[in-house]
Amino acid sequence: MADYREPAYADVNRDILQTMLVTGPRYWIVFGITSTVALVCFFLPWIYQWHVGVGAAGMNRNAVWGTYLSNFIFWIGLSHSGTLLSAVLHITGSGWRKAIYRSAEAMTLFSLMTAALFVMVHLGRVWFVHWSIPIPNPMGLWPNFRSPLLFDVMAITTYLVASSIFIYMGSVPDYAAVRDASTGLRRRLYAIFSFGWRGTAQEWHTLGWAYTFFAVFVIPLAVSVHSIVSWDFAMSLVPGLHQTIFAPYFVCGAIYSGTAGIVTVMYLLRRCLNLERYIREIHLDNLGKLLIALSLVWSYINILELFTGWYSGTSYEYEALRFKLFGFYAPLYWEMITFCALVPLLIFWKKIRLSWNRMFVISILINIGMLTERFIIVATSQPRKFLPAAFGFYFPSVVEIMITIGSFAVFATLFLIFIKWTPCVSIYEVKETLKPLRRAA
Amino acid sequence: MEKINRRDFLKFIGAGGIGAGAGLLYGESTRKTVELLIPQVVTPEDYSPGIATWYNTVCRLCSAGCGISVRTREGRAKKIEGNPNHPVNQGRLCALGQAGLNALYNPDRIRTPLRRTGDRGNFAPIDWDEALTLLGRRLGNLKIKKQGSSVYLLAGGLRGHIDTLFYTFMQALGSDHYLHYEFTHPAALYAANRMIFNQDILPYYDISNASYVLSFGADYLGTWLSPVHYSQAYGHLRQGRTDQRGKCVQIEPRMSLTGASADEWIACRPGSEGLLAMAMVHVIVNDGLYRGPDRNAWLEATGPYTPEAVAAQADVAADVITRLAHEFIRNQPGLAIGGGSAASHTNAAASLAAINVLNYLAGNLNTPGGVIFNPDPVSPASPVARQASYARLQEWIEAMAGGGVDVLITHAVNPVFTLPPAAGFTEALAKVPMVVSLSSFMDETTALADLVLPAHTYLEAWGDDMPEPGVGFPVATLSQPVVKPLYDTRDAGDIILSLAHQIGGELPVVLPWTRIEDYLKDSWKHIYGQRRITADSGGNFDEFWNAALAAGVWGENITREPLRFDGVAEDRIRALQVPPPAFAGEEKDHPFVLLPYLTQAFHDGRGANLPWLQELPDPLTSIVYGAWVEINPATAKRFGIREGDIVEVQTPSGSLRAPAFLYPAIRPDVIAMPIGQGHSQYGRYARGRGANPLEILSPLVDEASGALAWSATRAGIRKTGERAPLIKTDGVTRTLGRQILDDKPAHT
Amino acid sequence: MGKLTDKLKQYLKPGYYDKFDYHWTMTIDLDRCTGCEACVVACQAENNLPIVGEKRFRERREIKWLRVERYWEGEYPDVKLRFIPMLCQHCDQAPCETPCPVAATYHNQDGLNTQIYNRCIGTRTCAVYCPYEVRYFNWFSYTWDEPLEQQLNPDVTVREKGVMEKCTFCIQRIRQAKDRAKDDGRRRVRDGEVTPACVQSCPAEAMVFGDLNDPESRVAKLAKNARGYKVLEELNTAPSIVYLKKVNPDG
Repeated sequence: MADYREPAYADVNRDILQTMLVTGPRYWIVFGITSTVALVCFFLPWIYQWHVGVGAAGMNRNAVWGTYLSNFIFWIGLSHSGTLLSAVLHITGSGWRKAIYRSAEAMTLFSLMTAALFVMVHLGRVWFVHWSIPIPNPMGLWPNFRSPLLFDVMAITTYLVASSIFIYMGSVPDYAAVRDASTGLRRRLYAIFSFGWRGTAQEWHTLGWAYTFFAVFVIPLAVSVHSIVSWDFAMSLVPGLHQTIFAPYFVCGAIYSGTAGIVTVMYLLRRCLNLERYIREIHLDNLGKLLIALSLVWSYINILELFTGWYSGTSYEYEALRFKLFGFYAPLYWEMITFCALVPLLIFWKKIRLSWNRMFVISILINIGMLTERFIIVATSQPRKFLPAAFGFYFPSVVEIMITIGSFAVFATLFLIFIKWTPCVSIYEVKETLKPLRRAA
Repeated sequence: MEKINRRDFLKFIGAGGIGAGAGLLYGESTRKTVELLIPQVVTPEDYSPGIATWYNTVCRLCSAGCGISVRTREGRAKKIEGNPNHPVNQGRLCALGQAGLNALYNPDRIRTPLRRTGDRGNFAPIDWDEALTLLGRRLGNLKIKKQGSSVYLLAGGLRGHIDTLFYTFMQALGSDHYLHYEFTHPAALYAANRMIFNQDILPYYDISNASYVLSFGADYLGTWLSPVHYSQAYGHLRQGRTDQRGKCVQIEPRMSLTGASADEWIACRPGSEGLLAMAMVHVIVNDGLYRGPDRNAWLEATGPYTPEAVAAQADVAADVITRLAHEFIRNQPGLAIGGGSAASHTNAAASLAAINVLNYLAGNLNTPGGVIFNPDPVSPASPVARQASYARLQEWIEAMAGGGVDVLITHAVNPVFTLPPAAGFTEALAKVPMVVSLSSFMDETTALADLVLPAHTYLEAWGDDMPEPGVGFPVATLSQPVVKPLYDTRDAGDIILSLAHQIGGELPVVLPWTRIEDYLKDSWKHIYGQRRITADSGGNFDEFWNAALAAGVWGENITREPLRFDGVAEDRIRALQVPPPAFAGEEKDHPFVLLPYLTQAFHDGRGANLPWLQELPDPLTSIVYGAWVEINPATAKRFGIREGDIVEVQTPSGSLRAPAFLYPAIRPDVIAMPIGQGHSQYGRYARGRGANPLEILSPLVDEASGALAWSATRAGIRKTGERAPLIKTDGVTRTLGRQILDDKPAHT
Repeated sequence: MGKLTDKLKQYLKPGYYDKFDYHWTMTIDLDRCTGCEACVVACQAENNLPIVGEKRFRERREIKWLRVERYWEGEYPDVKLRFIPMLCQHCDQAPCETPCPVAATYHNQDGLNTQIYNRCIGTRTCAVYCPYEVRYFNWFSYTWDEPLEQQLNPDVTVREKGVMEKCTFCIQRIRQAKDRAKDDGRRRVRDGEVTPACVQSCPAEAMVFGDLNDPESRVAKLAKNARGYKVLEELNTAPSIVYLKKVNPDG
């Protein structure tokens, strides 16, 4: 059924625009489900928490940070997918990124939005969240720029804006394609979105260098954003968190988790939107190689953490390590190691690396492991700080679990809206990878 | 203005509606409530808004009688502090005292007089006139029929002129049946003091100036006699002097709060404290550390109590006994005191007498740092004759059960909770036709009453207090209301005075006052005259009275002749013996000894209705909102009991269930439970929480003093298989080598 | 070059001050402390601490600005129990001040680490960063069963949900003492004029409070005591509370 012949230019337009312009009942059912789950599992519990207080979550005086913050980090991590694929691989001039970078960038954008939502869910008095932004206010107060959380605000805002511009800019020619293929209101809208793109050489040239400029701009952002997020933890004194390895750890983990996320999304797009001709083995192969490389780096960093904990010789680090490895949450720790360090080793085998189904499963397991890793950072470090009489325990509440599930639904809903608003595969870049047009024989 | 068309109009309504809705949500989320301002057209006369007024009064939450200063703002009590003028607590206050505001503003206070309707436990409100008439008529009839002696009045530890008022009232009624009963009443100590020192009052233990405190179970930092004063004294003993630091030794089967602060904690068998004391007496006399003329008599009396003989009985090594005895004598002034477990076995009075002998041998009587008897207590002194021991109360219970009691009035006492059911009080109470309670709270005893005449809480009441043991010189504390009464309650004194007038006959003649304030003032005129007190501004009683009320306390710390002590009579010496403790239950079926203990927050259960105290982590276990059974960790391991497992504690007199706690500092053959929880009444904070160990005590009595031997019940424990994890605030209670208690970590 | 490094050095000191007007310090003598927890109830009464209830305690959400920690040493029968009251240490190099994104906690000119309730947006970063775990969050808005709210101290804010709180060294009392001193002729607050509720109530007089900048004050003298130390000193938080370690008579 699937047509794996190399497509012609017209095929590219038609196939990809079809995913956008033709909407079957299956889409609406899925959209209905994700948006309902998002409402019921994310927004309703949040409103309940707004009303009752953050106590609706499971945090307590020992562990004041919980899944809201660990999910926040997870989603920021997932957002590194787009930047890596899009920007880095663009700079290095790799061709295989072309079919998948658009969706990856979209993933970045929506992950960032979901992460921002988590920041707000996490706050005790979210109606004053605007105080963390340096805008004129009647109190005449600046926010505290020495706070790593404020670095977060700056970095993530910058990243969000840059990513939005980046993805938008890269989509302009495709909006033009949509405009040309549609009529009525859509044609008028996309005429505005595409800024009247005509495809002249001058325009292509401008787009080219602007896009490259942004790619270069966005790369250090990716590194800095997650480093800054890691410093929320690393700048504390908490044993197990106060380590310089945290910045590379988080950045590596982010790219790792993001790449795995791309594999998951690619699998779903390919399956559901019949994009088998565009998202091919070469993508899977290269993503797999990327995953294995990142998995090895990630494993190395984890071993480093164990080493520094043991080497320190202090009671604090020992206890933090002991609790992480053998305490109540030990099963989660070992699950994380299995899913993120051991399972990806299977990717060494070509048989697994080139199998869509198996890679899909592995990518999901990797992300489960990464979600667990963030949770472990939050849940096993805080209850084991300095004063043993203040040791405690943290377990997420129903509201937190629902919001976690709901966040995936929010992300999915946003993504579903995206695929109907922008072509999820970059039409013009895919065409660049095809053999040049030949007259029909 | 241009016309608004329909479309725009609807748009505006919509926008406004959304705005209002958003505002509502915002308002809800910030939850502002309407507040009222004080209308200043009619200015209040007893306060200035924004300025605090302080009233000095007395704390009545335990028998120590600390003076307190209460800060009030706008007529509401805000904070209780210790009264800096008061010699007992000198400006300091304990946890229970600080929580007194929870008693004043307790949501479950009785707000009006109540009358029983239907079965015991159901009440309907009535007004004061009706209530007083009801009771007054009944009492009047009894008096006319010369049956006044069937009126019984049971009060908690009352002192001062309220006590005199009650006594006068009862005498005028023709009844001798007026007793004080408190679970914490140290009957054995009184008996021991009589036996050795020939004194009817409690002495002042001058811990502050001592070099050595040898405590047999006395929890002087937590619950024993006057904990605030002794804590202050302890602080001074430790670090208040530049040339010495006192040493504290604690001998008890379970580490109490005081035991935690001691330099040495020695785990002796329950009930063997007296034997240890006798052994130490033996060592002191035998080793020539005491050279008084009566030493041979002492040697003879303590002949059988050699360290080797006692070591086996007490499970304390003989060389430890010898060493402690030598240390005690060599570090004078020093004090030997007894309480807690030592005072609650069947040999209580004898044990405490033996401990008294240690003080006698050390020669610290009536000297600084020693045992000081107040030569001149303020009259009315502690009414010893009215302080009932458990055995004495048993007589009352028999009278009640036998139908000999027509009216029982209770005030500030809760025997249904503090007496073991084996005593039969609740059943006897059912036979009393009219039970009247003057309590402010619906406690277990009040719930069984026929008539409730709620008295003011101590912060709303007039009165005075002569603290005992006090501080070795005459002190009297004055109590005045700090706020207007919150509810339709009356001062206990006023209730009695009203009854007197209601009953008529000779009563209003004997008690002509209509207000307790006047009675108090007139009583003090008498003291003023008797003691020839002169106020600073020369001899005017009213000025004295105002000054005394403002200060909250009156005292005379002048040097007096100490009480004469002629030594212990020889027949008393020869008669002195400490029998081994007897227990209820056989070791076979009940391998443990059950030790109930008083906590510094709840004492005998009275603090359980105060939410701040329910929320206060227990100092030794950090547990809140519950009761527990303390088991030695090795024992628990043997039984396979983990923390939080619900165990059933079985004694010959009953059983209860409570979660287990592994307590590191308790003997393996002893289990302990805190007293104070397990209320079935007493308000929302106390009711239905935990278990009451007093419920399963067997009614063994110390014959010499009549005190209830509440540590003499043996118990067995059984796992029930259920769990109720304890609510505690502690995480891990070991320092794990970290630099917390010291400037150097214990190990890296 | 020297002037430049000097100027740069001032940025090493975290805070907004050069020198303190007062330097409020507390000493806690562990040889006197009996663990009776009178201080805990006094603090609750003075500072409108909520009655959180059994359910919240079970969830480990109690709010006790001052808690008494206990540490066991040894095994039965050679077992010892040690108490240590733990409250906000008002660190001069507080790890909690820098990470607050809205500057709701800062070091004031008297050496106090203050918490501004109406600025707090509840990120709870300060509580994570505090090594002594003495910061408490209002997970809910707590209420008092009528008429317990009549006891509330009008000089202290009642906190709503979403706000972090902690020991303030009874700043309301310090404020009043400073006001009185100002009205009294612009003099300094004298030693002993201001005591926090916990210090005032302690029966064993284990806690002493005062101005370290006043060399004649009790606390300045006690802070130099040979037994003095600071908890977790190697973390370099520079706490304002000096503990005097319990004397071990054998050692």
